[in-house]
Amino acid sequence: MKILTEHEAKKLLSKYGIPVTKESIAKSPDEASAIAQQIGTPVAMKISSPDISHKSDVGGVALNVNVHDAKSTYDKILLQIKKVASDARIEGILVQQMAPPGHEIIVGLKKDAQFGHAIMFGLGGIFVEVYKDVSFRVVPIERNEALAMISEIKGYPILKGIRGRKPADIEAIARVIVAVSEMAQKENIIELDINPLIVDEKGAVAVDARAMIDV
Amino acid sequence: MLSSIFEPESVAVIGASNNLTKWGGRILKNLLSGFQGKIYPVNPMETIVQGLDSYPSVLNIPGTVELGIIVVPSRYVHSIAEECGKKGIKGLVVISAGFSEAGNEGAELELVSIARKYGMRMIGPNTLGIVNERARLNASIIGRLPRPGSISFITQSGSLGLALAEWTIATELGLCKVISTGNKAETDDVDFIEYLSSDPSTGVIAMYIEGIKRGRRFLDAARNISKPIVAIKTGRSKRGAKAVFSHTGSIAGSDEVYSAAFKQAGILRMDTIDELFDAALAFSCQPLPQGKNVAIFSNGGGASIVAADECEIQGINIANLTGETKEKIKKVIPEFASVSNPIDTAGTVSFKIYNDSIKALHDDPNVDAIIVIYVHTMISNAMPPAEAVVEMKQICDKETGKKPIIACWMGGVGTEEGVDILKSGCIPNYPVPERAVKALSALIRHKEFLETVKTGNAQAGKCL
Repeated sequence: MKILTEHEAKKLLSKYGIPVTKESIAKSPDEASAIAQQIGTPVAMKISSPDISHKSDVGGVALNVNVHDAKSTYDKILLQIKKVASDARIEGILVQQMAPPGHEIIVGLKKDAQFGHAIMFGLGGIFVEVYKDVSFRVVPIERNEALAMISEIKGYPILKGIRGRKPADIEAIARVIVAVSEMAQKENIIELDINPLIVDEKGAVAVDARAMIDV
Repeated sequence: MLSSIFEPESVAVIGASNNLTKWGGRILKNLLSGFQGKIYPVNPMETIVQGLDSYPSVLNIPGTVELGIIVVPSRYVHSIAEECGKKGIKGLVVISAGFSEAGNEGAELELVSIARKYGMRMIGPNTLGIVNERARLNASIIGRLPRPGSISFITQSGSLGLALAEWTIATELGLCKVISTGNKAETDDVDFIEYLSSDPSTGVIAMYIEGIKRGRRFLDAARNISKPIVAIKTGRSKRGAKAVFSHTGSIAGSDEVYSAAFKQAGILRMDTIDELFDAALAFSCQPLPQGKNVAIFSNGGGASIVAADECEIQGINIANLTGETKEKIKKVIPEFASVSNPIDTAGTVSFKIYNDSIKALHDDPNVDAIIVIYVHTMISNAMPPAEAVVEMKQICDKETGKKPIIACWMGGVGTEEGVDILKSGCIPNYPVPERAVKALSALIRHKEFLETVKTGNAQAGKCL
């Protein structure tokens, strides 16, 4: 059993055609600055360690960082992590494109003892935490079933766009769900969260991801 | 072949007893009460059991034996199963307990390997037995044979399964097969679904499930059978996940996954035992509707509103009746009554009112299904409208396309004779409107399953 870092989890998503945020691991303050420049600021900077899975809980995340501040933020995060998690193996700092505005979605996968893998879809943020407004399917599933999953949650009208909110690209979400279904059949995934998947009118992008795999 | 278990020509009861308080006595008595094939008691301590010659071993029985029912203490089961194999017995029902359910997995595996060695199919161990009403075969500890019907009931639980089987018999629900799965060692739900799929007397399968053994195969089997499967799956309260690695992991307990899997395989998951058998009854005697537009007909406005409200909850449309239909109904109900759906006769009840109105509704192209309600009062008689429904149903079935008719005769004392008429006319009847609507909803959902997830050929329920 192995827990993937966010960056590793996203590489896995990319392999199946799921769009992810532009990002790279910086090993030094100068690299952080160069990556930030390349991506275009502001950026998010996150500690990358196989030993830290709740990055923001330990103060390992900085958001909306300008290119000029990238170097100093790199040092600041490392200093903080040395304080609270001195034993953690550090791979560097993940410098990442800030999440675009859009609907927050969660797509997840869980290995089930009876039926193989179950795939979950729901609205992210408080919707998943409090209301558990989610739908499930056993994989494999195809586009039609993915669309049915999306439309059967209570919050579906939100995705269609209500009260001036822009609608979400439903087809893009369905493509992600189908890709995750395909991934379930080919990779040894125990659990996976894409949370959030940010969806606007013309596309979806995985902003954060967690995965536990069987090795 | 499971047919050796459900349709045997001859049966041996190993552990047969003269003592009717013992299971070996009870099962033999149950067999003798209906089964027309050869019955052989086996008990080395007796020469005569319940009036039949008893044999010390199955190997001493002169003729061939197709089914062996084993009711002996667990320590003797293996050697007896060996003897059954040598005798050429094709099927075993092992009532004896004391196997995997008691932690003795090894003993159970050994029993399975004996069955496989001789090519025997086996139900159990730890089963309450099986019933096949069509063959008048009661190879179980269930007290009596059920009324004939097209519902086959597969149950996993021990005492609850028995209570449910007894209860369905007491409510005069028509049953075809009752299968107590026991420990599902050599046969499980997959085998039973596949067998019942090609069983001509089974129209609908009702299942009480605690757990499934071969998940993916189970889903494939369910998807391949076009006959409706209604199921209760218990254990909703157990949330599978304690680990909190991911949100998905914490929310996706086994129950959520079961619900999803059932939906994908076209299994109608029911919330309550009432709903399970209510739906099974409707499937067993009514055709599937072509769509989801219902006409509600009642002599009481309140009851029809309750029905309409439940339709709303279940996503069933209240049909827009054609002008022609309204004209026909106007002729038989009082002037001040309502001819728009739901139709309310304002308390008036007669054979003609129900007869002509149901005919009109049945002929209406905008109507896919009819719910007929009768609310009992001191001054009305529950029988004429029931007779009208039954007669109309028979005529309508011949004349136009078949549409389901679901009844709700409300009011307790005074309604019994009407209810009996409906029952004998194969009209599913429920004591409250919500239950009638939920049963109809199951028919509609199955129709949708046939169009979306089911891969087998469509086949309606049947009335026996």
